[in-house]
Amino acid sequence: MPQAPFRHPAWLIGPGLAAAGILLVMTVAGLAALFWQAPLPALAELWQQPYLRRVLTFTLWQATLSTLLSLAVGLAVAMALARRAVFPGRGLLLRLMELSLVLPTIVAVSGLIGVFGRQGWLTRLADGWLPGWNLYGLGGILLAHVFFNAPLAGRLLLQALESVPAPRRRIASQLGLRGRWLWLALDWPAIRRVLPGITALVFTLCFTSFAIIMTLGGGPASTTLEVAIYQSLRFEFDFGRAALLAVVQLALCGLLWLLLVRRAPTRGLAPDRRLPEPIRRPDQGGLRALRDRALLLVFSLFLVMPLAAVLIRGLPGLTGMFLQGGAPLATLWHATLRSFAIALPAGLMSVLAALCLLALGNRGGRYLAPLSPLTTAIPLMVPPIVLGTGLFLLLRPSLGDAAQGMALVALINGLMALPFVAQLLRGPLNSLDAASLRQADQLGLLGWYRWRWLYWPKLKQPLALALAYGIALSLGDFGVIALFGAPQEPTLPVLLFQQLGSYRTEQASGTALWLGLMLLLVFLSLGRLGQPKAGRPATTLSTTRVHHA
Amino acid sequence: MLDVRDLTFHYPGGARWQFQFTLAPGECLAVAGPSGSGKSTLMNLLAGFLTPDAGSIQWRGRELVGTPPWARPMTSVFQEHNLFEHLDVTTNLGLGMDPGLRLTARQRQRIADGLKALGLEGFGQRMPGDLSGGQRQRVAVLRALLRDQPILLLDEPLTGLDPEARALLRDLLLAQKAEGRLLVLASHDAEDRDVLADRLLPV
Amino acid sequence: MRLRSLFLMAVLGATAFAQARANETLTVYTHPSFAAEWGPGPAVKAAFEQQCDCTLQYVVLDSGGDILQRLRLEGASSQADVVLGLDTATMETARQTGLLAPHQVSLAALELPVAWRDELFVPYDWGYFAFVYDTEQLPNPPTSLDELIGAPDDLKIIIQDPRTSTPGLGLLLWMRSVYGDQAGEKWQALKSKILTTTKSWSDGYFSLFMNGEAPMILSYSTSPAYHMAIDKTDRYQAAAFEEGHYLQVEVAALVASSRHKALARRFLAFMLTPEFQREIPLKNVMYPAIDLGDELPDVFDRLIQPSQTLYLDPATVAEHRKAWLEEWLEAMSR
Repeated sequence: MPQAPFRHPAWLIGPGLAAAGILLVMTVAGLAALFWQAPLPALAELWQQPYLRRVLTFTLWQATLSTLLSLAVGLAVAMALARRAVFPGRGLLLRLMELSLVLPTIVAVSGLIGVFGRQGWLTRLADGWLPGWNLYGLGGILLAHVFFNAPLAGRLLLQALESVPAPRRRIASQLGLRGRWLWLALDWPAIRRVLPGITALVFTLCFTSFAIIMTLGGGPASTTLEVAIYQSLRFEFDFGRAALLAVVQLALCGLLWLLLVRRAPTRGLAPDRRLPEPIRRPDQGGLRALRDRALLLVFSLFLVMPLAAVLIRGLPGLTGMFLQGGAPLATLWHATLRSFAIALPAGLMSVLAALCLLALGNRGGRYLAPLSPLTTAIPLMVPPIVLGTGLFLLLRPSLGDAAQGMALVALINGLMALPFVAQLLRGPLNSLDAASLRQADQLGLLGWYRWRWLYWPKLKQPLALALAYGIALSLGDFGVIALFGAPQEPTLPVLLFQQLGSYRTEQASGTALWLGLMLLLVFLSLGRLGQPKAGRPATTLSTTRVHHA
Repeated sequence: MLDVRDLTFHYPGGARWQFQFTLAPGECLAVAGPSGSGKSTLMNLLAGFLTPDAGSIQWRGRELVGTPPWARPMTSVFQEHNLFEHLDVTTNLGLGMDPGLRLTARQRQRIADGLKALGLEGFGQRMPGDLSGGQRQRVAVLRALLRDQPILLLDEPLTGLDPEARALLRDLLLAQKAEGRLLVLASHDAEDRDVLADRLLPV
Repeated sequence: MRLRSLFLMAVLGATAFAQARANETLTVYTHPSFAAEWGPGPAVKAAFEQQCDCTLQYVVLDSGGDILQRLRLEGASSQADVVLGLDTATMETARQTGLLAPHQVSLAALELPVAWRDELFVPYDWGYFAFVYDTEQLPNPPTSLDELIGAPDDLKIIIQDPRTSTPGLGLLLWMRSVYGDQAGEKWQALKSKILTTTKSWSDGYFSLFMNGEAPMILSYSTSPAYHMAIDKTDRYQAAAFEEGHYLQVEVAALVASSRHKALARRFLAFMLTPEFQREIPLKNVMYPAIDLGDELPDVFDRLIQPSQTLYLDPATVAEHRKAWLEEWLEAMSR
């Protein structure tokens, strides 16, 4: 038997270990550099400050509420989408769900305000029906967090629900299971595997939320730990305090990840089987169908309306730029190209790194495996402002040239996308069932061959989606290249912020719309790429009677 | 000669088994016993999917305990889940001969011949999900045979099949015995055991 | 989340563009509103290069705070010859780093509302903080801070957080210089009028004010100049307050470790000439630091003229800022 390339077990552990090592070393070194620069403030004393206690309490409180709400909405939507596997516009709704997370905060928030704000469409429409509705405060924070995170949760949960093996679904259908039994037999086992990871992800996103909290929070009573870190570092130059707060944040979120993700079961359910006809879920009809339709309609409106606000606001600016052409249009084009030049490698890198780290998680054994969930989450938990300052202190004497700078931007954007990408791939990667693994072992499908014949076919679609997220997160990421020195070389989000900072509201609205369109384009094209062919492949012999045992 | 000695295994906090037998080329050993009696455990121990607590499995004087599944001279057919559901029939068969699927013309011919012999001509591009249970099982047995391994581990391979498929596969397995292969058969079915097995190992 | 990579890059990437040329290169750390293609930066670069036989290179950092931060982090190894874009709120911290050198530039041409005799910092523009209002939503804006504080609660304003934004800190100092130790109470009274407190000026202006969420926003007295001159609309105006308005001065300074000190001083002196200053009014939307005479765009004549200029000595601000911030937090969180 020919030897499979990369069949040595070290190939499953080594790259992941290297990636985890790089992440850990960067984090520890960044924090250590800050501590080394400044005297360590006493932890007890820090905790004594009522301000900080209040901040921490509020952070935890809003993050918990936001997470619960996002998960509840996400789950309801995912279930409804699972029950209604075919309806016009379903694909588009999925793309919109993917889009909401990656929009630059300022764009999404401006859209939300256009709908739910004091002068928003909906507020005016519901005039008098909703006395006491006020966007600014906890309500607004929750609304925005649900807007960003419920679609993410829904998308990930739907992915899990759709991974339920067809035979199992058929049995449920034949038995006519309903309600709680259907949930216990079909949905819960699938969701259980991904729920801890999604919870940790959403919680961390809400915990470290920054601009949303400040814009919609109403005032400094709504302050997260991340704001306090930013303040310490940027306005008080108190490195020690900033680093200590960052450690508190890292510890809290890290603990949650370890607790939640370690308990998640990781094996696949049973071999999936492609069935010739779609399986009807027993709970597809009747009143439930109506309720699902209503829910999906409301949710679609919830997603579409703010985006429509962005569209309407940006259309004059964007058409203006295209009609007049000239310098502003050229700037827009160049910014677009530059953004993609960074985002494509960043996306690829995040997917690669996520695969390596997930492989480490599966094969690393008792001591190395926990590194996987921890390191895939770190980029979310440590404020990069902290990490960046620390690393800068370390690298100070020898910073690289322009090309290295570009690579570094892509690298860091890729790392930022890692938590999302890993979450998207974790479920599908772990979904291989025992029977398939047994076969693979006996047939000698090892190393590259195992990837080629077992993982790749199953992962094509999740990989395309993960890549889209990786690219889009980097594309929508505020800020990188203009900071390298040349204002003539902004990426799209940097251009947007530059226009915002100089009263160019109309152009900025146009740029925001254009950025949104580019993000949509990424999800549309990659969503299509990863689409499995509907039904079954064309059969060669249609005369053979097909029946099922 | 397959020589299994004092092969012991226990699930954590569960039952404990010990197996001992020898088997010569051209022989078929039937493992009999009710559900949960350890038939599948023995199959998995032999194939290397489980690691025994103690004992040895010797094949032509070579110790197999500690050898990974892919390096053992055997091939398994289970009652179910023998095929990769996302790969078509030809790919499933081809992977049995070369995990890199770089098949020679002769190997391709063997696949075509095999499908034809089993009444599956033209099914090469089908997905397993599009086949009936009997057809799937024929493909599974065909793959096992294409692998040319001297030992066949058959765990309820004929259970639940229609009479036609059953008869066809039985004949095929008998032919394997005649070629000098060793068969270990776990089956509920007394008729299968009577037709195929030379000896019985109660568990 | 999106802010995250920003700073990392800011600190990691700056020296990347330091290319050596045959002639001397002057490196200026600045922020995007100065260096952007529609800002004064490109024209200033062209004008200066024409007369200096040198290359002027901007290293663009996100904000004045980032410039200061970068300078502190780089210390004596900084590539910067000049930092441009600090302001009255950050200059005292910058002075304390000891990384700046005296400018030795004649300040005679300066035309500021306050006397300026600083030996480290050269002003290049200035403006007043003011509340900008939407005349269509609010035909009769308050005419004083007092009136604003005493206004009915359905008048909503947008402010920025003094912990993260320059105008936000400006309002803090404004309140402080008008009300002194009573500032805390006044903040509490003002609280019910505040719709929200945004992280940055951009967040508030773009997402909220231009969306019509509130009729008034904390901004600059010069903001209407942009709307009038470029957007061609008189809709947005600044409200003149009787107590006077707080002053912001934007400054530049020479970096002590610069190897091109002579050229850098030439640039600082150039800053106070019409060639530089004529780009300021409409491209930076601030008052020029010297008298431009007829060159000052007409719309600047239509801006409010505060009866009194409020200004606290930067040293005093630096000393008390932390306590005042805490007072504000206390008042607003209650």
